[in-house]
Amino acid sequence: MKPLKVFFNGVLNENPTFRMVLGMCPTLAVTTAAINGIGMGLATTFVLVGSNLVISLLKNFIPQKIRIPAFVVVIATFVTVVSMIMQAFLPELNKSLGIYIPLIVVNCIILARAEAFASKNSVFLSVIDGLGMGIGFTLALLLLGSIREILGAGTWFGMPVFSDGFSPAIIMILPPGGFITLGLVLGLLNKLTGRTE
Amino acid sequence: MSEGVKMSIKLFIITAVAALALGITHAVTEEPIRLQNEQASMEARKAVLPDAQEFLPVDISEYRDEYPNVIEVYQGKSGDDTVGYVFKVVSKGYGDDVELFVGIDAKEDRVENVSIISHNETPGLGAKAAEPAFLSQYTGKSADSPLAVVRGNPTQDTQVEAITGATITSKAVTQGVNSAVEFYSQVLKDGGADR
Repeated sequence: MKPLKVFFNGVLNENPTFRMVLGMCPTLAVTTAAINGIGMGLATTFVLVGSNLVISLLKNFIPQKIRIPAFVVVIATFVTVVSMIMQAFLPELNKSLGIYIPLIVVNCIILARAEAFASKNSVFLSVIDGLGMGIGFTLALLLLGSIREILGAGTWFGMPVFSDGFSPAIIMILPPGGFITLGLVLGLLNKLTGRTE
Repeated sequence: MSEGVKMSIKLFIITAVAALALGITHAVTEEPIRLQNEQASMEARKAVLPDAQEFLPVDISEYRDEYPNVIEVYQGKSGDDTVGYVFKVVSKGYGDDVELFVGIDAKEDRVENVSIISHNETPGLGAKAAEPAFLSQYTGKSADSPLAVVRGNPTQDTQVEAITGATITSKAVTQGVNSAVEFYSQVLKDGGADR
């Protein structure tokens, strides 16, 4: 039961985007299209699982007082190694996810999960947590990317969804559209789940 | 041993192991990455000049000042024949520099194909420049005269239609193509590179 709870905690209850409101910079930047949301989400999931794994393995070695610099070194190293290996041996994967990998280093979700979960829990649960958080992040980005792409470009995953007469609201795929969409979706979710102050 | 010293040693161990891991990964991946990049750029050159079998880099260092937008030039050969040239050019777009490959057919003196290597233009607007719908306009344009961007339907052979709402990007791409065309007609045409 516990692993399932940890998993769904990441997807729903503590969804990194809609609940924790973490990693807003990549969220706003890449959600101009649904496919970008998926790409960034999956790349983040991959790194999140890996970094949670490494951090939970090292949790007894890393002294409490210097844990933040230690986490940063571990995460940055892991991301760089993954990025180099992808470039060298997985050119196809690199073509679709490669541009998101360097952005992940600055994504605070990774550091937040290392600090809040992986440094206090077992290796297995940490991996599950990384998976749940990553999928929660992916779904959130997919939702935002879909809304912005449909309204701003008139397409979904590159396929037209309206007849020719539809003139898309370009502002939705520009930065202001990111803020507008995120704000409205956050507000709506809070309303639906009764989470108001 | 004081706590401070202990922590310093542990942090040192962590960074040393990280550095070692990075060093090893770099050593292992350096060559494959170089090969991947080479293959990718080979394919990109092939896409803009399909008739060529191999591409020989042309030394353009003496023209650097005169043509600052031309970054690299390749002579496309099929057997002993020079079928054309591929130019890597850069042009100032709306967001950032736009890098493109321009293939010029030396036999017909016309633009063969154009592809965008990298850009940072607005998604849904300027980014449409990378799509075939826009780029295919350049195919077959004469390499004798510079091209111009117009809004709406082109009326002359030397005109390309701007992307709606992205005139600056359209002009940037056209300018890039023009610098390749100019370099070709001023420097390379009529066997210039074989001198």
